[in-house]
Amino acid sequence: MNHGQQSGEAKHEDDAALTEFLASLMEYTPTIPDDLVEHYLAKSGFQCPDVRLIRLVSVATQKFVADVASDALQHCKARPAPVMKDKKQQKEKRLVLTMEDLSKALREYGVNVKHPEYFADSPSTGMDPATRDE
Amino acid sequence: MNNGAGEGGSQRRELHGKSKLFLGNDFAYAIAKMAVAQICESAEVNVYQESQTREGVRFSSFQESALETLTDVAIRYIQSIGMSAHLYANIAGRREGNSLDIVQTLEDLGSGLGFAGVSDTGRCLADSGVVKDIIRYTGEAEEMPFVYSLPRFPINKEKRPSPSFSEVGAESPDEHIPVWLPAFPETKLCNRSEETIVGTVEGGPPSKENGPSLSSLQHSFNGGRLEVLNSPKDDRKSKEEVEGNPFLTAPLRFVEKELSPVFHPLELSNEVARTSHVPDKHLSNDHHIPVLEASAPWDEINKRNMIVESEDGEKKGGARPQQTLVRFKIGTLKRPSCFAINRSVQEHGWFQEGEDKWEKKSEIKEKRERIDLGIVESDVN
Repeated sequence: MNHGQQSGEAKHEDDAALTEFLASLMEYTPTIPDDLVEHYLAKSGFQCPDVRLIRLVSVATQKFVADVASDALQHCKARPAPVMKDKKQQKEKRLVLTMEDLSKALREYGVNVKHPEYFADSPSTGMDPATRDE
Repeated sequence: MNNGAGEGGSQRRELHGKSKLFLGNDFAYAIAKMAVAQICESAEVNVYQESQTREGVRFSSFQESALETLTDVAIRYIQSIGMSAHLYANIAGRREGNSLDIVQTLEDLGSGLGFAGVSDTGRCLADSGVVKDIIRYTGEAEEMPFVYSLPRFPINKEKRPSPSFSEVGAESPDEHIPVWLPAFPETKLCNRSEETIVGTVEGGPPSKENGPSLSSLQHSFNGGRLEVLNSPKDDRKSKEEVEGNPFLTAPLRFVEKELSPVFHPLELSNEVARTSHVPDKHLSNDHHIPVLEASAPWDEINKRNMIVESEDGEKKGGARPQQTLVRFKIGTLKRPSCFAINRSVQEHGWFQEGEDKWEKKSEIKEKRERIDLGIVESDVN
Protein backbone atom coordinates (compact mmCIF):
# COMPACT_ATOMS: atom_id res chain seq x y z
CA MET A 1 0.00 0.00 0.00
CA ASN A 2 2.66 2.36 1.09
CA HIS A 3 4.85 1.31 -1.77
CA GLY A 4 2.00 1.87 -4.17
CA GLN A 5 1.54 5.35 -2.88
CA GLN A 6 5.19 6.07 -3.23
CA SER A 7 5.31 4.84 -6.78
CA GLY A 8 2.21 6.86 -7.49
CA GLU A 9 3.91 9.96 -6.21
CA ALA A 10 7.01 9.16 -8.22
CA LYS A 11 4.90 8.76 -11.29
CA HIS A 12 3.25 12.01 -10.53
CA GLU A 13 6.64 13.66 -10.35
CA ASP A 14 7.66 12.10 -13.64
CA ASP A 15 4.47 13.27 -15.15
CA ALA A 16 5.12 16.74 -13.88
CA ALA A 17 8.64 16.67 -15.31
CA LEU A 18 7.37 15.65 -18.71
CA THR A 19 4.66 18.27 -18.61
CA GLU A 20 7.13 20.88 -17.57
CA PHE A 21 9.46 19.94 -20.37
CA LEU A 22 6.65 20.07 -22.87
CA ALA A 23 5.69 23.47 -21.57
CA SER A 24 9.28 24.64 -21.87
CA LEU A 25 9.25 23.58 -25.49
CA MET A 26 6.87 26.42 -26.18
CA GLU A 27 9.72 28.83 -25.69
CA TYR A 28 12.32 26.68 -27.37
CA THR A 29 12.57 27.09 -31.10
CA PRO A 30 13.97 24.00 -32.76
CA THR A 31 15.95 24.28 -35.95
CA ILE A 32 13.56 22.16 -37.92
CA PRO A 33 10.55 24.33 -38.56
CA ASP A 34 7.27 23.32 -36.99
CA ASP A 35 5.46 23.44 -40.27
CA LEU A 36 7.88 21.04 -41.86
CA VAL A 37 7.55 18.52 -39.07
CA GLU A 38 3.83 18.90 -39.05
CA HIS A 39 3.75 18.34 -42.77
CA TYR A 40 5.71 15.13 -42.61
CA LEU A 41 3.81 13.91 -39.58
CA ALA A 42 0.58 14.52 -41.40
CA LYS A 43 1.93 12.61 -44.36
CA SER A 44 2.59 9.66 -42.12
CA GLY A 45 -0.93 9.75 -40.73
CA PHE A 46 -0.28 11.29 -37.36
CA GLN A 47 -2.41 14.27 -36.60
CA CYS A 48 -2.25 16.37 -33.53
CA PRO A 49 -3.22 19.97 -32.99
CA ASP A 50 -0.79 20.34 -30.09
CA VAL A 51 2.24 22.40 -31.04
CA ARG A 52 4.24 21.04 -28.12
CA LEU A 53 4.13 17.52 -29.44
CA ILE A 54 5.25 18.68 -32.83
CA ARG A 55 8.08 20.54 -31.15
CA LEU A 56 8.91 17.40 -29.24
CA VAL A 57 9.21 15.45 -32.46
CA SER A 58 11.16 18.30 -33.98
CA VAL A 59 13.61 18.40 -31.10
CA ALA A 60 13.96 14.63 -31.13
CA THR A 61 14.73 14.69 -34.83
CA GLN A 62 17.16 17.51 -34.36
CA LYS A 63 18.92 15.56 -31.65
CA PHE A 64 19.03 12.51 -33.87
CA VAL A 65 20.52 14.41 -36.78
CA ALA A 66 22.99 16.16 -34.52
CA ASP A 67 24.07 12.85 -33.01
CA VAL A 68 24.57 11.32 -36.41
CA ALA A 69 26.45 14.36 -37.60
CA SER A 70 28.72 14.42 -34.57
CA ASP A 71 29.44 10.73 -35.00
CA ALA A 72 30.23 11.32 -38.63
CA LEU A 73 32.51 14.13 -37.59
CA GLN A 74 34.30 11.81 -35.22
CA HIS A 75 34.84 9.37 -38.04
CA CYS A 76 36.00 12.17 -40.24
CA LYS A 77 38.49 13.36 -37.67
CA ALA A 78 39.71 9.88 -36.82
CA ARG A 79 40.54 9.22 -40.43
CA PRO A 80 44.12 10.02 -41.34
CA ALA A 81 44.05 13.27 -43.18
CA PRO A 82 45.03 13.08 -46.80
CA VAL A 83 48.41 14.51 -47.54
CA MET A 84 47.96 18.00 -48.76
CA LYS A 85 50.45 19.59 -51.02
CA ASP A 86 49.32 22.99 -50.17
CA LYS A 87 50.19 23.95 -46.63
CA LYS A 88 47.57 26.58 -46.46
CA GLN A 89 44.87 24.08 -47.05
CA GLN A 90 46.29 21.80 -44.42
CA LYS A 91 46.11 24.55 -41.90
CA GLU A 92 42.56 25.27 -42.72
CA LYS A 93 41.70 21.60 -42.49
CA ARG A 94 38.28 21.78 -43.93
CA LEU A 95 36.09 18.95 -42.91
CA VAL A 96 33.66 17.62 -45.41
CA LEU A 97 30.75 15.42 -44.55
CA THR A 98 31.22 12.49 -46.86
CA MET A 99 29.12 9.49 -47.57
CA GLU A 100 31.71 7.20 -46.08
CA ASP A 101 31.61 8.85 -42.68
CA LEU A 102 27.91 9.24 -42.82
CA SER A 103 27.30 5.60 -43.63
CA LYS A 104 29.57 4.58 -40.78
CA ALA A 105 27.77 6.87 -38.39
CA LEU A 106 24.34 5.81 -39.56
CA ARG A 107 25.18 2.15 -39.17
CA GLU A 108 25.29 2.64 -35.44
CA TYR A 109 21.78 3.96 -35.55
CA GLY A 110 20.47 1.01 -37.45
CA VAL A 111 20.43 2.64 -40.85
CA ASN A 112 22.39 0.79 -43.47
CA VAL A 113 23.54 3.14 -46.16
CA LYS A 114 25.92 1.88 -48.73
CA HIS A 115 28.31 4.32 -50.16
CA PRO A 116 28.11 3.87 -53.91
CA GLU A 117 31.64 3.22 -55.01
CA TYR A 118 31.74 4.99 -58.30
CA PHE A 119 29.22 7.70 -57.69
CA ALA A 120 30.72 10.87 -59.03
CA ASP A 121 29.62 13.27 -56.38
CA SER A 122 30.84 16.78 -56.25
CA PRO A 123 33.11 16.66 -53.22
CA SER A 124 32.80 20.19 -52.16
CA THR A 125 29.33 21.46 -52.44
CA GLY A 126 28.77 23.97 -49.79
CA MET A 127 32.20 25.50 -49.99
CA ASP A 128 30.50 28.64 -50.90
CA PRO A 129 27.91 29.32 -48.26
CA ALA A 130 25.83 31.29 -50.69
CA THR A 131 25.35 28.32 -52.97
CA ARG A 132 24.95 25.70 -50.29
CA ASP A 133 21.68 26.77 -48.87
CA GLU A 134 19.67 27.63 -51.82
CA MET B 1 36.71 25.90 -57.83
CA ASN B 2 34.47 27.55 -60.29
CA ASN B 3 34.33 24.45 -62.37
CA GLY B 4 33.49 22.37 -59.37
CA ALA B 5 30.71 24.67 -58.37
CA GLY B 6 29.31 24.53 -61.86
CA GLU B 7 29.36 20.78 -61.94
CA GLY B 8 27.83 20.67 -58.53
CA GLY B 9 25.06 22.89 -59.73
CA SER B 10 24.25 20.69 -62.66
CA GLN B 11 24.35 17.61 -60.51
CA ARG B 12 22.22 19.26 -57.97
CA ARG B 13 19.66 19.92 -60.58
CA GLU B 14 19.68 16.29 -61.59
CA LEU B 15 19.40 15.16 -58.02
CA HIS B 16 16.61 17.58 -57.55
CA GLY B 17 14.76 16.00 -60.40
CA LYS B 18 15.31 12.61 -58.90
CA SER B 19 14.05 13.65 -55.53
CA LYS B 20 11.01 15.04 -57.22
CA LEU B 21 10.35 11.60 -58.57
CA PHE B 22 10.71 9.95 -55.24
CA LEU B 23 9.33 12.41 -52.80
CA GLY B 24 7.01 14.48 -54.87
CA ASN B 25 7.47 17.36 -52.53
CA ASP B 26 10.28 19.63 -53.53
CA PHE B 27 9.55 22.48 -51.24
CA ALA B 28 9.43 20.48 -48.06
CA TYR B 29 12.45 18.49 -49.10
CA ALA B 30 14.48 21.59 -49.81
CA ILE B 31 13.60 23.06 -46.45
CA ALA B 32 14.42 19.82 -44.70
CA LYS B 33 17.76 19.78 -46.44
CA MET B 34 18.53 23.27 -45.30
CA ALA B 35 17.51 22.48 -41.77
CA VAL B 36 19.65 19.34 -41.70
CA ALA B 37 22.59 21.23 -43.08
CA GLN B 38 22.13 23.84 -40.44
CA ILE B 39 21.98 21.27 -37.68
CA CYS B 40 25.06 19.50 -38.99
CA GLU B 41 26.94 22.70 -39.25
CA SER B 42 26.21 23.96 -35.79
CA ALA B 43 25.92 20.82 -33.73
CA GLU B 44 29.60 20.09 -33.87
CA VAL B 45 30.57 23.21 -32.07
CA ASN B 46 28.78 22.15 -28.94
CA VAL B 47 30.37 18.77 -28.98
CA TYR B 48 33.81 20.17 -29.24
CA GLN B 49 33.27 22.82 -26.66
CA GLU B 50 33.16 20.04 -24.14
CA SER B 51 36.39 18.50 -25.33
CA GLN B 52 39.64 19.75 -24.03
CA THR B 53 40.99 21.06 -27.27
CA ARG B 54 38.10 23.48 -27.54
CA GLU B 55 38.57 23.73 -31.22
CA GLY B 56 35.54 24.95 -32.95
CA VAL B 57 35.75 22.14 -35.42
CA ARG B 58 32.76 21.61 -37.56
CA PHE B 59 31.80 20.52 -40.96
CA SER B 60 32.50 23.27 -43.36
CA SER B 61 31.01 21.61 -46.37
CA PHE B 62 28.98 18.64 -47.36
CA GLN B 63 28.98 16.11 -50.04
CA GLU B 64 25.77 16.59 -51.85
CA SER B 65 24.85 12.94 -51.69
CA ALA B 66 25.73 12.71 -48.02
CA LEU B 67 23.57 15.68 -47.18
CA GLU B 68 20.70 14.32 -49.17
CA THR B 69 21.06 10.93 -47.57
CA LEU B 70 21.00 12.45 -44.13
CA THR B 71 17.98 14.50 -45.09
CA ASP B 72 16.22 11.40 -46.30
CA VAL B 73 17.02 9.65 -43.07
CA ALA B 74 15.78 12.57 -41.04
CA ILE B 75 12.54 12.68 -42.97
CA ARG B 76 12.16 8.96 -42.50
CA TYR B 77 12.77 9.49 -38.83
CA ILE B 78 9.98 12.02 -38.57
CA GLN B 79 7.64 9.89 -40.55
CA SER B 80 8.37 6.75 -38.60
CA ILE B 81 7.74 8.69 -35.42
CA GLY B 82 4.43 9.75 -36.87
CA MET B 83 3.48 6.27 -37.95
CA SER B 84 4.37 4.54 -34.71
CA ALA B 85 2.80 7.25 -32.58
CA HIS B 86 -0.32 6.96 -34.65
CA LEU B 87 -0.21 3.23 -34.19
CA TYR B 88 0.13 3.49 -30.44
CA ALA B 89 -2.67 6.01 -30.27
CA ASN B 90 -4.90 3.72 -32.25
CA ILE B 91 -4.02 0.75 -30.09
CA ALA B 92 -5.02 2.77 -27.08
CA GLY B 93 -8.30 3.57 -28.79
CA ARG B 94 -7.55 7.18 -29.50
CA ARG B 95 -7.67 9.09 -32.72
CA GLU B 96 -5.08 11.68 -31.88
CA GLY B 97 -1.75 10.91 -30.36
CA ASN B 98 -0.51 12.36 -27.12
CA SER B 99 2.92 12.91 -25.67
CA LEU B 100 3.20 9.41 -24.23
CA ASP B 101 2.68 7.89 -27.66
CA ILE B 102 5.55 9.94 -28.95
CA VAL B 103 7.74 9.05 -26.00
CA GLN B 104 6.98 5.39 -26.55
CA THR B 105 7.86 5.78 -30.20
CA LEU B 106 11.10 7.54 -29.38
CA GLU B 107 11.96 4.71 -27.06
CA ASP B 108 11.30 2.25 -29.85
CA LEU B 109 13.47 4.17 -32.25
CA GLY B 110 16.18 4.65 -29.70
CA SER B 111 16.17 1.08 -28.52
CA GLY B 112 18.73 0.13 -31.14
CA LEU B 113 21.26 2.42 -29.62
CA GLY B 114 20.10 2.11 -26.07
CA PHE B 115 19.38 4.72 -23.48
CA ALA B 116 19.38 5.03 -19.74
CA GLY B 117 16.92 2.74 -18.05
CA VAL B 118 15.98 0.49 -20.94
CA SER B 119 16.34 -2.59 -18.82
CA ASP B 120 13.94 -1.35 -16.19
CA THR B 121 10.62 -2.75 -17.25
CA GLY B 122 8.47 -1.26 -14.56
CA ARG B 123 9.34 2.33 -15.14
CA CYS B 124 6.94 5.03 -16.03
CA LEU B 125 6.90 6.19 -19.59
CA ALA B 126 7.13 9.80 -18.55
CA ASP B 127 10.39 8.99 -16.83
CA SER B 128 11.96 7.66 -19.98
CA GLY B 129 15.67 7.99 -20.55
CA VAL B 130 14.98 9.18 -24.05
CA VAL B 131 13.10 12.15 -22.73
CA LYS B 132 15.88 12.90 -20.30
CA ASP B 133 18.35 12.81 -23.15
CA ILE B 134 16.26 15.21 -25.12
CA ILE B 135 15.89 17.48 -22.12
CA ARG B 136 19.65 17.45 -21.67
CA TYR B 137 20.12 18.14 -25.35
CA THR B 138 17.82 21.13 -25.29
CA GLY B 139 19.72 22.39 -22.29
CA GLU B 140 23.11 22.01 -23.92
CA ALA B 141 22.50 22.87 -27.51
CA GLU B 142 22.13 26.47 -28.24
CA GLU B 143 18.78 27.47 -29.47
CA MET B 144 19.12 28.05 -33.13
CA PRO B 145 16.06 28.86 -35.12
CA PHE B 146 15.80 28.15 -38.79
CA VAL B 147 17.85 30.53 -40.88
CA TYR B 148 15.10 31.83 -43.04
CA SER B 149 11.67 32.84 -42.09
CA LEU B 150 9.42 30.48 -43.90
CA PRO B 151 6.53 31.63 -45.93
CA ARG B 152 3.28 30.14 -44.87
CA PHE B 153 3.83 26.47 -45.36
CA PRO B 154 1.48 25.13 -47.98
CA ILE B 155 -0.24 22.60 -45.81
CA ASN B 156 -3.86 22.66 -44.98
CA LYS B 157 -4.05 23.17 -41.27
CA GLU B 158 -7.77 23.51 -41.21
CA LYS B 159 -8.41 19.95 -42.12
CA ARG B 160 -10.74 19.12 -39.34
CA PRO B 161 -12.99 16.13 -38.92
CA SER B 162 -16.69 16.66 -39.02
CA PRO B 163 -18.00 18.15 -35.77
CA SER B 164 -19.27 15.83 -33.12
CA PHE B 165 -22.64 15.89 -31.46
CA SER B 166 -21.30 17.83 -28.55
CA GLU B 167 -19.69 20.43 -30.80
CA VAL B 168 -22.81 20.90 -32.82
CA GLY B 169 -24.84 21.11 -29.65
CA ALA B 170 -27.30 18.52 -30.76
CA GLU B 171 -28.27 15.52 -28.74
CA SER B 172 -27.49 12.13 -30.10
CA PRO B 173 -30.64 10.53 -31.45
CA ASP B 174 -30.21 7.38 -29.44
CA GLU B 175 -28.73 6.58 -26.11
CA HIS B 176 -26.25 4.10 -27.45
CA ILE B 177 -24.57 6.72 -29.64
CA PRO B 178 -21.96 8.59 -27.63
CA VAL B 179 -21.89 12.34 -27.78
CA TRP B 180 -18.33 12.57 -29.04
CA LEU B 181 -19.04 10.79 -32.28
CA PRO B 182 -19.44 12.92 -35.39
CA ALA B 183 -22.91 14.27 -35.76
CA PHE B 184 -25.22 12.80 -38.34
CA PRO B 185 -25.62 14.81 -41.49
CA GLU B 186 -28.79 16.72 -42.05
CA THR B 187 -31.42 14.40 -43.41
CA LYS B 188 -33.33 16.68 -45.69
CA LEU B 189 -34.64 13.87 -47.84
CA CYS B 190 -36.53 12.33 -44.96
CA ASN B 191 -38.13 15.60 -44.06
CA ARG B 192 -39.19 16.20 -47.61
CA SER B 193 -40.66 12.76 -47.93
CA GLU B 194 -42.56 13.26 -44.73
CA GLU B 195 -43.91 16.46 -46.12
CA THR B 196 -45.00 14.69 -49.23
CA ILE B 197 -46.67 12.10 -47.12
CA VAL B 198 -48.56 14.75 -45.30
CA GLY B 199 -49.34 16.47 -48.55
CA THR B 200 -50.39 13.53 -50.64
CA VAL B 201 -51.96 11.12 -48.28
CA GLU B 202 -55.21 12.63 -47.32
CA GLY B 203 -57.26 11.15 -44.61
CA GLY B 204 -54.45 8.82 -43.67
CA PRO B 205 -54.01 7.83 -40.08
CA PRO B 206 -52.20 10.52 -38.13
CA SER B 207 -50.01 8.13 -36.17
CA LYS B 208 -46.57 7.97 -37.76
CA GLU B 209 -45.83 4.37 -37.04
CA ASN B 210 -48.77 2.83 -38.76
CA GLY B 211 -49.37 5.60 -41.20
CA PRO B 212 -46.69 5.10 -43.83
CA SER B 213 -47.00 1.35 -44.13
CA LEU B 214 -50.74 1.38 -44.38
CA SER B 215 -50.82 4.22 -46.81
CA SER B 216 -48.12 2.63 -48.88
CA LEU B 217 -50.18 -0.49 -49.00
CA GLN B 218 -53.10 1.54 -50.04
CA HIS B 219 -51.13 3.22 -52.73
CA SER B 220 -49.63 0.09 -54.09
CA PHE B 221 -53.08 -1.40 -54.02
CA ASN B 222 -54.44 1.49 -55.98
CA GLY B 223 -51.49 1.39 -58.30
CA GLY B 224 -52.07 -2.25 -59.04
CA ARG B 225 -55.69 -1.67 -59.72
CA LEU B 226 -54.94 1.21 -61.96
CA GLU B 227 -52.41 -0.79 -63.85
CA VAL B 228 -54.76 -3.67 -64.35
CA LEU B 229 -57.52 -1.43 -65.39
CA ASN B 230 -55.37 0.56 -67.72
CA SER B 231 -53.58 -2.33 -69.30
CA PRO B 232 -55.88 -2.65 -72.27
CA LYS B 233 -55.48 1.02 -72.95
CA ASP B 234 -52.65 2.90 -74.46
CA ASP B 235 -49.23 1.77 -73.32
CA ARG B 236 -47.84 5.23 -73.00
CA LYS B 237 -50.58 6.32 -70.76
CA SER B 238 -50.08 3.33 -68.52
CA LYS B 239 -46.41 4.11 -68.45
CA GLU B 240 -47.14 7.60 -67.32
CA GLU B 241 -49.38 6.23 -64.68
CA VAL B 242 -46.71 3.83 -63.64
CA GLU B 243 -44.13 6.53 -63.47
CA GLY B 244 -46.47 8.67 -61.51
CA ASN B 245 -47.46 5.97 -59.11
CA PRO B 246 -44.08 4.93 -57.82
CA PHE B 247 -43.33 8.55 -57.34
CA LEU B 248 -46.28 8.88 -55.08
CA THR B 249 -45.92 5.56 -53.37
CA ALA B 250 -42.18 5.33 -53.14
CA PRO B 251 -41.67 8.08 -50.58
CA LEU B 252 -43.88 6.15 -48.26
CA ARG B 253 -41.71 3.11 -48.70
CA PHE B 254 -38.77 5.39 -48.60
CA VAL B 255 -39.56 6.35 -45.07
CA GLU B 256 -39.58 2.76 -44.01
CA LYS B 257 -36.72 1.27 -45.94
CA GLU B 258 -34.83 4.30 -47.14
CA LEU B 259 -34.89 3.25 -50.75
CA SER B 260 -35.10 6.06 -53.20
CA PRO B 261 -37.36 5.66 -56.21
CA VAL B 262 -34.85 7.36 -58.46
CA PHE B 263 -33.06 4.18 -59.40
CA HIS B 264 -35.84 2.61 -61.40
CA PRO B 265 -34.75 2.26 -64.97
CA LEU B 266 -37.38 3.41 -67.37
CA GLU B 267 -37.45 0.09 -69.16
CA LEU B 268 -38.50 -1.69 -66.04
CA SER B 269 -41.29 0.66 -65.22
CA ASN B 270 -43.83 -1.70 -66.69
CA GLU B 271 -42.62 -4.51 -64.55
CA VAL B 272 -42.53 -2.30 -61.55
CA ALA B 273 -46.18 -1.87 -61.98
CA ARG B 274 -46.52 -5.61 -62.23
CA THR B 275 -44.86 -6.06 -58.90
CA SER B 276 -46.95 -3.36 -57.44
CA HIS B 277 -50.09 -5.34 -57.86
CA VAL B 278 -48.72 -8.35 -56.12
CA PRO B 279 -49.72 -6.85 -52.79
CA ASP B 280 -53.10 -6.54 -54.25
CA LYS B 281 -53.09 -10.26 -54.72
CA HIS B 282 -51.98 -11.21 -51.26
CA LEU B 283 -53.30 -8.28 -49.39
CA SER B 284 -55.53 -10.37 -47.20
CA ASN B 285 -52.75 -12.76 -46.28
CA ASP B 286 -49.90 -10.58 -45.32
CA HIS B 287 -49.07 -6.94 -45.02
CA HIS B 288 -45.33 -7.17 -45.23
CA ILE B 289 -45.00 -7.73 -48.91
CA PRO B 290 -44.09 -4.20 -49.92
CA VAL B 291 -41.43 -4.20 -47.25
CA LEU B 292 -39.95 -7.38 -48.60
CA GLU B 293 -40.00 -6.07 -52.08
CA ALA B 294 -38.48 -2.84 -51.06
CA SER B 295 -35.62 -4.62 -49.39
CA ALA B 296 -34.65 -6.71 -52.40
CA PRO B 297 -33.11 -5.53 -55.65
CA TRP B 298 -35.64 -4.65 -58.28
CA ASP B 299 -34.40 -6.80 -61.08
CA GLU B 300 -34.39 -9.99 -59.12
CA ILE B 301 -37.80 -9.32 -57.76
CA ASN B 302 -39.16 -8.61 -61.15
CA LYS B 303 -37.75 -11.73 -62.71
CA ARG B 304 -38.79 -13.94 -59.88
CA ASN B 305 -42.16 -12.41 -59.71
CA MET B 306 -42.66 -13.17 -63.33
CA ILE B 307 -41.83 -16.79 -62.80
CA VAL B 308 -43.90 -17.20 -59.73
CA GLU B 309 -46.82 -15.41 -61.14
CA SER B 310 -46.71 -17.53 -64.19
CA GLU B 311 -46.78 -20.58 -62.01
CA ASP B 312 -49.61 -19.15 -60.09
CA GLY B 313 -51.44 -18.46 -63.22
CA GLU B 314 -50.87 -21.84 -64.75
CA LYS B 315 -51.09 -24.11 -61.80
CA LYS B 316 -53.67 -22.05 -59.95
CA GLY B 317 -56.11 -23.49 -57.50
CA GLY B 318 -54.16 -25.91 -55.35
CA ALA B 319 -53.02 -24.92 -51.94
CA ARG B 320 -53.38 -21.23 -51.77
CA PRO B 321 -51.49 -20.68 -48.52
CA GLN B 322 -48.65 -22.80 -49.83
CA GLN B 323 -48.41 -20.66 -52.85
CA THR B 324 -48.23 -17.57 -50.79
CA LEU B 325 -45.49 -19.24 -48.85
CA VAL B 326 -43.67 -19.98 -52.04
CA ARG B 327 -44.01 -16.44 -53.11
CA PHE B 328 -42.65 -15.29 -49.80
CA LYS B 329 -39.55 -17.36 -49.51
CA ILE B 330 -38.22 -16.34 -52.85
CA GLY B 331 -36.14 -13.56 -51.55
CA THR B 332 -34.95 -15.54 -48.57
CA LEU B 333 -32.95 -18.69 -48.07
CA LYS B 334 -35.63 -21.37 -48.31
CA ARG B 335 -36.71 -22.45 -51.70
CA PRO B 336 -39.45 -24.99 -51.90
CA SER B 337 -38.64 -28.03 -53.94
CA CYS B 338 -41.81 -27.93 -56.01
CA PHE B 339 -40.86 -24.51 -57.13
CA ALA B 340 -37.46 -25.77 -58.14
CA ILE B 341 -38.93 -28.61 -60.15
CA ASN B 342 -41.40 -26.44 -61.89
CA ARG B 343 -38.73 -23.96 -62.52
CA SER B 344 -36.44 -26.54 -64.03
CA VAL B 345 -39.23 -27.42 -66.40
CA GLN B 346 -40.20 -23.91 -67.27
CA GLU B 347 -37.02 -22.10 -66.72
CA HIS B 348 -35.70 -22.13 -70.22
CA GLY B 349 -38.89 -21.09 -71.81
CA TRP B 350 -39.45 -18.28 -69.46
CA PHE B 351 -35.97 -17.03 -69.51
CA GLN B 352 -35.87 -17.13 -73.24
CA GLU B 353 -39.00 -15.17 -73.29
CA GLY B 354 -37.43 -12.83 -70.85
CA GLU B 355 -34.55 -12.32 -73.19
CA ASP B 356 -36.76 -11.87 -76.15
CA LYS B 357 -38.71 -9.39 -74.20
CA TRP B 358 -35.82 -7.00 -74.22
CA GLU B 359 -35.61 -7.18 -77.96
CA LYS B 360 -39.20 -7.31 -79.01
CA LYS B 361 -41.05 -5.11 -76.70
CA SER B 362 -44.30 -4.48 -78.37
CA GLU B 363 -45.26 -8.12 -78.73
CA ILE B 364 -44.26 -8.97 -75.24
CA LYS B 365 -46.22 -6.14 -73.78
CA GLU B 366 -49.40 -7.49 -75.19
CA LYS B 367 -48.49 -10.92 -73.97
CA ARG B 368 -47.78 -9.63 -70.54
CA GLU B 369 -51.03 -7.82 -70.34
CA ARG B 370 -52.75 -11.02 -71.19
CA ILE B 371 -50.81 -12.80 -68.51
CA ASP B 372 -51.66 -10.11 -66.04
CA LEU B 373 -55.29 -10.43 -66.70
CA GLY B 374 -54.98 -14.18 -66.44
CA ILE B 375 -53.27 -13.94 -63.13
CA VAL B 376 -55.81 -11.58 -61.75
CA GLU B 377 -58.59 -13.79 -62.89
CA SER B 378 -56.96 -16.85 -61.44
CA ASP B 379 -56.46 -15.08 -58.18
CA VAL B 380 -60.01 -14.01 -58.10
CA ASN B 381 -60.99 -17.56 -58.75
